Amino acid sequence: MPSSPLQPVISAIGEVLLGKEHQVRLALACLLARGHLLIEDLPGMGKTTLAEALARSFGLGFKRVSFTSDLLPADLTGLNVFDPAAASFRFQPGPLFSQVLLADEINRASPRTQSALLEAMAAGRVSLDGTSHPLPRPFLVIATQNGLDQGGTSALPESQLDRFLMRLSLGYPPRQAERALLQGEGLGPDGLSGAFGPEDLLALQDRADRQHCSPALLDYVLDLLERSRRQPSQAHPLSPRAGLALLAAARAWSLLEGRDHVIPDDVQAVLAAVCEHRMDGGQRGGGEGELSQRLQEGVDGLR
Amino acid sequence: MSRAAAPLQWLTMGLLALGLLGLSPALSLSLLAFGLGVLTALKLREARSLEERRVVALLQLVCAGLLAALRPELAPSLLQGLAILMALAGLLALELGAGPDWKALLRRSLQVLLAALPIALVLFLLLPRLMPFTNFGAGQGMGAMTGLSDSMEPGSIARLAVSRQAAARVAFPLGGEPPPLEQRYWRVLVHERFDGRSWRSTAPTFPRPVVGQPATPPPPPAAPGEGIQLWLIEPSGLAAVPWSGSGRPLSADLRLQRSGELLNRAPGSQRRVYALTRTADQPGWRTTPPGPVDLLLPLGENPRLEALAAGWRRLGSDRERLDAASGWFRRQPFRYTLEPGALPREAPLDHFLFESRLGFCGHYASAFTTLMRAAGVPARVVSGYRGGQWVQPVGGTGYVDLRQADAHAWSEVWLDGEGWRRVDPTAWAAGDPLARSGAAAGSRAGGGPLDWIQQQWWGLDIAWARWWLGYDGEQQQALVARLLGEQRHLLGVVVLLAVAVSLAAGLGGLGWLGRRHRGDPLRLELERTLRAFARQGMAPAAGETLGGFARRLSQRWPSLADPLEAFVANYQQQRFAAAPSRAGRRTAHRLGRVLRRSLRTGNRPAEAVQRDHP
Repeated sequence: MPSSPLQPVISAIGEVLLGKEHQVRLALACLLARGHLLIEDLPGMGKTTLAEALARSFGLGFKRVSFTSDLLPADLTGLNVFDPAAASFRFQPGPLFSQVLLADEINRASPRTQSALLEAMAAGRVSLDGTSHPLPRPFLVIATQNGLDQGGTSALPESQLDRFLMRLSLGYPPRQAERALLQGEGLGPDGLSGAFGPEDLLALQDRADRQHCSPALLDYVLDLLERSRRQPSQAHPLSPRAGLALLAAARAWSLLEGRDHVIPDDVQAVLAAVCEHRMDGGQRGGGEGELSQRLQEGVDGLR
Repeated sequence: MSRAAAPLQWLTMGLLALGLLGLSPALSLSLLAFGLGVLTALKLREARSLEERRVVALLQLVCAGLLAALRPELAPSLLQGLAILMALAGLLALELGAGPDWKALLRRSLQVLLAALPIALVLFLLLPRLMPFTNFGAGQGMGAMTGLSDSMEPGSIARLAVSRQAAARVAFPLGGEPPPLEQRYWRVLVHERFDGRSWRSTAPTFPRPVVGQPATPPPPPAAPGEGIQLWLIEPSGLAAVPWSGSGRPLSADLRLQRSGELLNRAPGSQRRVYALTRTADQPGWRTTPPGPVDLLLPLGENPRLEALAAGWRRLGSDRERLDAASGWFRRQPFRYTLEPGALPREAPLDHFLFESRLGFCGHYASAFTTLMRAAGVPARVVSGYRGGQWVQPVGGTGYVDLRQADAHAWSEVWLDGEGWRRVDPTAWAAGDPLARSGAAAGSRAGGGPLDWIQQQWWGLDIAWARWWLGYDGEQQQALVARLLGEQRHLLGVVVLLAVAVSLAAGLGGLGWLGRRHRGDPLRLELERTLRAFARQGMAPAAGETLGGFARRLSQRWPSLADPLEAFVANYQQQRFAAAPSRAGRRTAHRLGRVLRRSLRTGNRPAEAVQRDHP
């Protein structure tokens, strides 16, 4: 079994976020696939820790913004301020201009602000007064959403949901991990040293793009997409963009697995994270990843 | 029911209609075939349900089979084969559901046909023959056929002389050599009755077999190494068929007359194929003495002719009279032309011999024969074909191509002690076309590319006739005798066995072909392995990947972990990596075998072992 080039990172984050290796891997895959991450979970589950650990592992700049109902778009993007010394306007970048942005409780902000964030995520730049300001690269948004406490919030519309490559929920740690946590064995993210730099991350992202997808694998992905469009349930069909996202995430996952080609197992590993929120329309229906599970079972995975 | 079903069935109908159009209405079975065709078309028109369409497909197959029995020649056979292919594809479209497309249906249909080939071959080679269907109820003279006729008037052959229509082809396989060009006289009819104007053939009919009596004994088969003439004649409407004048027919359908005519039991409006062996001895007709009819001529019709011949009567022997007549003929300035003008009603032969001296073979043969009869020498007119172009098709048996333009008439003269001698007075005339074409080595002018294609096609036709149609009851009996010797009574068992074996081979081949097209070898290997595990009660869950399934398997059979891992790794490498190799496929085969063997031998799960050995 070839070992993952990112195993050191996975292990290091694993020591910070105990018992969450799968979610850590998914988050890493999301980062490698140049996607953005939506974490839906209760408070206190380690969302911030994960975001910070990811940022520090690659030596990336990290900012955290708590979204509130009075947060304005300019609070995120920054604004042109008058510089009396130079007698001109100068662009003052907002927190969006960091490499990893943790957007806490994104559903509390107004749709306008949400929209500004999502546009920046999709375009990779911010346009202000006719000037385009490119965002830093790599650029990762980790948005969190509180699934329970929905009072006075604006849920992300389903059309915006698929701007996020993946949706995760961290969930409670297993008992052993929680015991270790209580015993204080977990390290803080501050202790993470950057074995990789931002340049390494960019290189890894390029490498993920080049992971080989054989015709058989593409057929598998196509069968999944077709199946999602045929299934009689009320699930939303998967769009071509969802297909691209699934393939990109599977590529990143195969890189994490230390392979140079994608196999159906990679697709299945990321299927729920990539597709569930695109199919359930933002409604947390049924169980965890139920729609993806049904989709997966409807397509021959042996190939 | 696939959407391709209806178009395929209509296409079949069209092909069948083409085949039916080629049938001669003179055959009684043709009417049956026409009726069946119309019935099938009507049924197809009104068919809606699956069952009705099934009936249509079966009717079409029966129709094609009937056609095949009626028209066994090459071109109709190809058409029937195509029709059967389409009919089968239509049936498959009905049965296989909406899945397969046109190409898949036709391919499968072709496979079914190929699978049926061995069984057809066994039946063809071994099953006793019925009499050819073409023999039943053949009527004579339906429709105007171009060609020779029973009655030869001097002017009659001129019509044919310009016709490029095919008359017959004769090949000499098995080492038979075609005679040299000046010896190529293919006799058809013998005309002995002369009424002053036209020469009539006695036109005997083929003897009908009498019920209760054995039919004519089948002629002995050709000894190996005997050269044969293989004839393929176009429909002529005549009972007599051309032959070289020597040899022996190989079929009971042909009867050699004492006059030297070869009679066909089924005179025909159909093409016919027959073969003759070469015999060393003198053919019997040549020495059959003449009857009084060979000296008859209407006296007083042509006084100058009779006067000339009367001079030769004084000569002692027939030979001298013949020499005198041929010497006289050669001295006269006869000229060969196809447009001699009409002969007068009064003394036509006098006019020809002493005044116009223009004419073609009919005139010469008629006048010369009359002269000989007037001189007291038995003589008769023979019509048939002369010459013919030697064609050597690419990679095939050479043959002589006879057109209606090669139709000819000549004389035969009886000489005591020798028999009938062929005398061709046309050859003495100036401008005889054979002499001219002989100079050009038998090649005919006007050989365009279309002619070339037709000649190649006829070459194929000859080969087909030789190997397929030529395999008749006699040859079959010879084969059975060679195979079984004295144990002929075992033929039924042998046929049944051979049919069973070829049926099994066909079905096996079909299954193999079907599997081969269902997936690539890698996937087949995987499925074989999966089946082995399924027999042990382990099957992949819905949507499960090979990796996931293998993990479950190695949990149940820990000892299989290594071969499993090797198999899965190789499979994934071949299937999903950038550069799969042929060697990897072989490896997959080997690893699959190793895995299955490990599963079978000794690596059974712990609980199974416990159950076996309590």
